[in-house]
Amino acid sequence: MMTWVRARRAVIGLVGCVTLYVLAAEVGHGRLPERIWLGAHYVENVKLLPTWRALVEEGAFLIESNILVDSIAVSTRRVVLGLLLGSVAGILLGLLTGSASRLEALAEPWVTFFRFTPALALLPLYVVWFGYGESSKVLLIATNVAVITFLGAHQGVRGVPRVYLDAAASLGADGQLRFRKVILPAAFPSIFSSVRVAAGLAWVTIVVAELINAQMPSLGYLLALAGAYPRVPTMLIGLATVGALVLIFDLLALLLHAWATRWMERAA
Amino acid sequence: MTAGTPPPVLEAMDVSYGYSGPTPTQALDGLSLEIKDSEFVALLGPVGCGKTTLLRIFAGFLRPAKGWVRCGGASIDGPGWQRGYVLQEEAIFPWMTVRENVEFGLLAKSVAPVQRREASDALIELIGLTAFAEAYPKELSTGMSKMVEVVRVLATDPSILLLDEPFGALDAQTRQRMQDALAALWQMRRKTVLFVTHDAEEALYLADRVLVLSPRPGRVKATFTVDLPRPRSFETRFSPELLALKRQIWEAAGLQR
Repeated sequence: MMTWVRARRAVIGLVGCVTLYVLAAEVGHGRLPERIWLGAHYVENVKLLPTWRALVEEGAFLIESNILVDSIAVSTRRVVLGLLLGSVAGILLGLLTGSASRLEALAEPWVTFFRFTPALALLPLYVVWFGYGESSKVLLIATNVAVITFLGAHQGVRGVPRVYLDAAASLGADGQLRFRKVILPAAFPSIFSSVRVAAGLAWVTIVVAELINAQMPSLGYLLALAGAYPRVPTMLIGLATVGALVLIFDLLALLLHAWATRWMERAA
Repeated sequence: MTAGTPPPVLEAMDVSYGYSGPTPTQALDGLSLEIKDSEFVALLGPVGCGKTTLLRIFAGFLRPAKGWVRCGGASIDGPGWQRGYVLQEEAIFPWMTVRENVEFGLLAKSVAPVQRREASDALIELIGLTAFAEAYPKELSTGMSKMVEVVRVLATDPSILLLDEPFGALDAQTRQRMQDALAALWQMRRKTVLFVTHDAEEALYLADRVLVLSPRPGRVKATFTVDLPRPRSFETRFSPELLALKRQIWEAAGLQR
């Protein structure tokens, strides 16, 4: 029930924003200048607020020419690979350091280091190490994702209430059973909310990484290209596409989180 | 120890325990007690008198700083299913269904799924929660959860039960029903029980013997044998015998003024 109310509100919010934009563009597009000063020269024939007709036209072109679909496929593949790789590495490491306090001291400075280092600062290094191809982009996402999910898993294990561990021990559970049936499920909420954060972050990382070394086809390239012309309709469609993908990934992560915590009191 | 008399099931001799930290606390000081086989003993004392500390020592989570504890003549090193321990806090696993909770101890003993299921069916029926067998604890009331914790401990059939204020958080009515349920369980499956409580009536209603602890640092201040007939009933709660004992207990605790 709750989810339906929330879904309806989300749809109303989206539709409201789109309607506002369409109205603003209808009123504004004729009044705004079409000649703008960009860097060293004037650019002619710019539509600062394209109407919905211009956007539909541009969208149809991008879809028919396969540019948009290919870009989505390439960028999504990178994000999925990076998410999987980073989550597996981060969660395994977090479970390990969460259970062994000696490892925690070893890992802690590195986690802080990576956590507050912008992903893009690592990009030049990754390009030199792993080349211009897929691996540097995927590994950049994986690094970002791993830091977040590491913290989620580590804190999840650390936060398991003592009473559960004591109860399990006095019921005769050995370390292995305790980990599998008590520590792991008790850490699930923390782990899966970190995965949700990481899923959003993965898109931030990939689009920016694709902007730096723009290659066809990718959403980052599409945006870089649109900026070079400049073509506002293409930019808006690129942005909307990234936004929609982020929403879809967030929804998937939310479903995963809801499944992993179905036993919890009804919360967020 | 003479031949022929078995050693006490639970035994504490001159046990002391203190907590270090910013406010060092001496929880137990020279406490001794003996509990015989199949005896139901209630440990009664004010908040902070070391009742829980003593129970955690018997459960194997703490080691006495001085003195010793034994279980069936052997020393206690570490927790184990032989001493079924129900914690004071709510410790039902919220990510497991009622059935999975009840079967956990059997899983730890590598009992086959079929036998696990038989055992959990019987125990869940015993506490009248058959309809909730596949439900998560979030659907249970506090009293129901506590009974699940009690039968979860019973599933592995330990000879000893250590119960730490299991009904402390319940309202008076539910508490009475839970006491009756526990008494009925104990009639059916005789165990040695050490039951911690701060409620004198509860102690007298359930136990064969009531040990009154002194305020911190805890030691046994007085012992009362409860000779009320079993099974005890609603009438028992208001019988002159019980009320007389209750008065003596409060006097022993120094509350007569």
